Amino acid sequence: MDAAQGPALEETTSGAGPDLHTKRFRTARAAVVDAGDLSAAQRRKALSDLCDRWLAEIYGPLPTPGMALVAVGGYGRREILPGSDLDVVLVHDGSRDPAEVARIADSVFYPVWDARVPLDHSVRSLDDAAQVAGGDLKVALGLLDARHVAGDPDMTHALAERNLAAWRRAAARRLPELRETVREREQRSGELAYLIEPNLVDSYGGLRDTVVLRAVAASWVADWPHSPAVEESRAWLLTVRDALHRSTGRRADRLLLQEQDDVARLVGLLDADVLLRRVSEAGRAIAYASEVGWRAVDRTLRSRSRVPLLRRRVTRRPLTDGVVEHDGQAVLARDAPLESDPTLAVRAAAAAAQAGVPLATATLERLVAESPDLPVPWPPSARDAFVRLLGAGRDGIPVWEDLESAGLVVRWLPDWERIRHRPQRTPIHRHTVDRHSIEAVAEGAELARRVSRPDLLLVAALLHDVGKGWPGDHSATGAVIAEGMAARMGFTEADVAVVSELVRHHLLLPAVATSRDLEDPATTRMVAELLGSVEQLDLLATLTEADARAAGPAAWTPWRAALVRDLVARTRAVLEGEHPERFGSGDEHPADLWARTLAESGAFDVLVTAPDLDQVCRVTVVAPDRVGLLAAVAGVLALHRLEVRGASVDTIDGAAVQVWRTVSEFGPPPDDAVIRRDLVKALDGSLDVEARLARRSQDRRPPAIHIAAPRVHLVPDASHTATVLQVRAHDEPGLLHRVASLLAHARVAVRSAVVDTLGADVVDVFYLVDEGGGPLDADRAQGVRDLVAEALGSRA
Amino acid sequence: MKLVTAVIKPFKLDDVRSALESFGVHGMTVSEASGYGRQKGHTEVYRGAEYTVDLVPKIRLEVLLDDGDVDDVVEVIVKTSQTGRIGDGKVWVAPVDTVVRVRTGERGVDAL
Repeated sequence: MDAAQGPALEETTSGAGPDLHTKRFRTARAAVVDAGDLSAAQRRKALSDLCDRWLAEIYGPLPTPGMALVAVGGYGRREILPGSDLDVVLVHDGSRDPAEVARIADSVFYPVWDARVPLDHSVRSLDDAAQVAGGDLKVALGLLDARHVAGDPDMTHALAERNLAAWRRAAARRLPELRETVREREQRSGELAYLIEPNLVDSYGGLRDTVVLRAVAASWVADWPHSPAVEESRAWLLTVRDALHRSTGRRADRLLLQEQDDVARLVGLLDADVLLRRVSEAGRAIAYASEVGWRAVDRTLRSRSRVPLLRRRVTRRPLTDGVVEHDGQAVLARDAPLESDPTLAVRAAAAAAQAGVPLATATLERLVAESPDLPVPWPPSARDAFVRLLGAGRDGIPVWEDLESAGLVVRWLPDWERIRHRPQRTPIHRHTVDRHSIEAVAEGAELARRVSRPDLLLVAALLHDVGKGWPGDHSATGAVIAEGMAARMGFTEADVAVVSELVRHHLLLPAVATSRDLEDPATTRMVAELLGSVEQLDLLATLTEADARAAGPAAWTPWRAALVRDLVARTRAVLEGEHPERFGSGDEHPADLWARTLAESGAFDVLVTAPDLDQVCRVTVVAPDRVGLLAAVAGVLALHRLEVRGASVDTIDGAAVQVWRTVSEFGPPPDDAVIRRDLVKALDGSLDVEARLARRSQDRRPPAIHIAAPRVHLVPDASHTATVLQVRAHDEPGLLHRVASLLAHARVAVRSAVVDTLGADVVDVFYLVDEGGGPLDADRAQGVRDLVAEALGSRA
Repeated sequence: MKLVTAVIKPFKLDDVRSALESFGVHGMTVSEASGYGRQKGHTEVYRGAEYTVDLVPKIRLEVLLDDGDVDDVVEVIVKTSQTGRIGDGKVWVAPVDTVVRVRTGERGVDAL
């Protein structure tokens, strides 16, 4: 705009003169901002009306045909807060001389600038506006809220209609673009519900997302959410933002810690904690509505694609018993035993999380409404599924959030309620307590290969701050609460104690490392005595790191990490001298009498028990031992879709006794005779297990979620009579068969083995011997390790 | 005026701080630092595999003082942070031309 034209303009706006309007406007505006008896909604309306009147007065004497002043964006929605910009467009029909248009624009905008009201303005012909909106999402979104302020109403009408029609026409192209901006914004500004200092507008679940939802609804691709919660949440966030503007005296969108007490007072709440909790709830409601809305968009756009209906392949594959992936979402199978199976909800959630797909909204609603409560303690299949849900790591968080919003998490674990949306006031934390806990679980899943009990690590990570919901030292209180929660999940007494101690000591390592003399033997002795075993030390060290990484970059500096690592190494040295490492979760079945008697007679037999209450069936195999037997059995079980939960394999006087705890993936397990027949065929080579499994794995989609790389290592000094190889990896069908085959190809015998599936992770320990029945020599042992590591790593 | 800088073992920070406070020093700057001196890092043996800790975590502590207090303060720091083992750290003193208190603009000894 040409400033030199300024003086000439004032002549055209003579009459009352801009100064007079401006003075009156500023006085009236200040009165509205300061009026304590206005509600935030009344203030927004009053400010908008005031601006409308003022702009109409300024515009008053200007020529009107073919030209209009239009409010867009927040002003278009009459949401003027004390610090808001005025978003306006001066639109014209393109018939006027550009110099005249510029002159008119100046005479409208100068008084606004002179009044020091922040102005976001543009001057466009109808055609220009359409063209700019076609390329710039922000402009198109702003125009969706277009509202007439002054001038020719037909122009405003034409502008709004053309934009809306174009928006609907191009929805298939623009909505994915819009979604991308939502994702970028979420990356940049985080999620409203979980931040200690959220941005009320830009954080995901904030005001901007309600505008986006409106735009989606305007496109007719998906509906505006039916739930009144979104409208209420939106009004509430506007109220908080209004208080924030008044408290800071400027346009501020980020609710910083220092402002929270004052804002809480202005909106009439007790304190900052209550304020933040209510902001979190609003953020969660909006985020949930957004998720639902975007999924609807995806589905509609897919179905509108040009591929003819019959040729379009809707992917549909079973995820677990009773749950199917359909069109990118997890849904219940038609015959899912919803009312009779209390574990279905948690199993469905775990399956969805591990497949990296969301639970369909309708499915979630049915699970909430119809599935019976879990018995207490939970049956092992529920616990196992819960751990698999946690083990999905970062990619599983969306499923967790859906369960949370739907209220299922609190139904499973009532004590969770106390930390939901709970803010925390320390400079190192970014997130509310519940979200921090889930972040710690995600970090823990990443580090799961460092420990022999990934299931306990994940549960301890989930519960480590649960004490923050109660008064007192949160570690000590938390240990008691966590004990109850872990027992509720159905862990054994020993495992409950491990989780409880991990929670009690989750701040121990950094505290000792930074405040005690690490070279003093008394320091390491104290830590060693508190922890008792290398296994517990590894769990605690890993939990410490997961917790710190989840808190934020400031909490796990190289400085701190170095101190903690030093303490752990020193404590390990003390513990290794005293306690041998334990393996396995301790509940594997010993070979029973039947098996032992058979083994002594040199027989070959297979026994499959009927599934117990928890669907686990035991498969006992007795056979003369030979290299490759383990691989053959593992392969045959995988072929029959029996998931291995655990196994103990022993050799008694040349006979192998293997007890497998398995769960049939779909339907009832096969009977003994079938397994026996296939095992014989696998051993004599007439059944190519490997090829069959390879063919099947082609149909299986590789996991869509990120999984931690496997870890394969030799455990020194664990046994004098065998080489001990430990494999920690993400569970997948046929994994054990692959490892056992590799060992067989290397002509190494597996004297015994302990196999454990802990949620989605497996921890397998193999006791290997050479042809002479003794431990492998160092080079060969290393070679075998490298072989297995390479084979697993290349697939991971 | 002098700047006293001390690099000490992290676990000694609380002792040094309370000793200095009872001596009458109430302001200091503390930062996390890493480095090595004659200690040159140390080699750890962990499960047969040697790994070197290149940089040892330390605390760096800085105090601004009037010339007259320097010797006493240095002595307090040295005494409290001594364990007698390698890696106890160092204390050094450097002259300071001027000090300004940001809030008031006071200069020199008044700003301490």
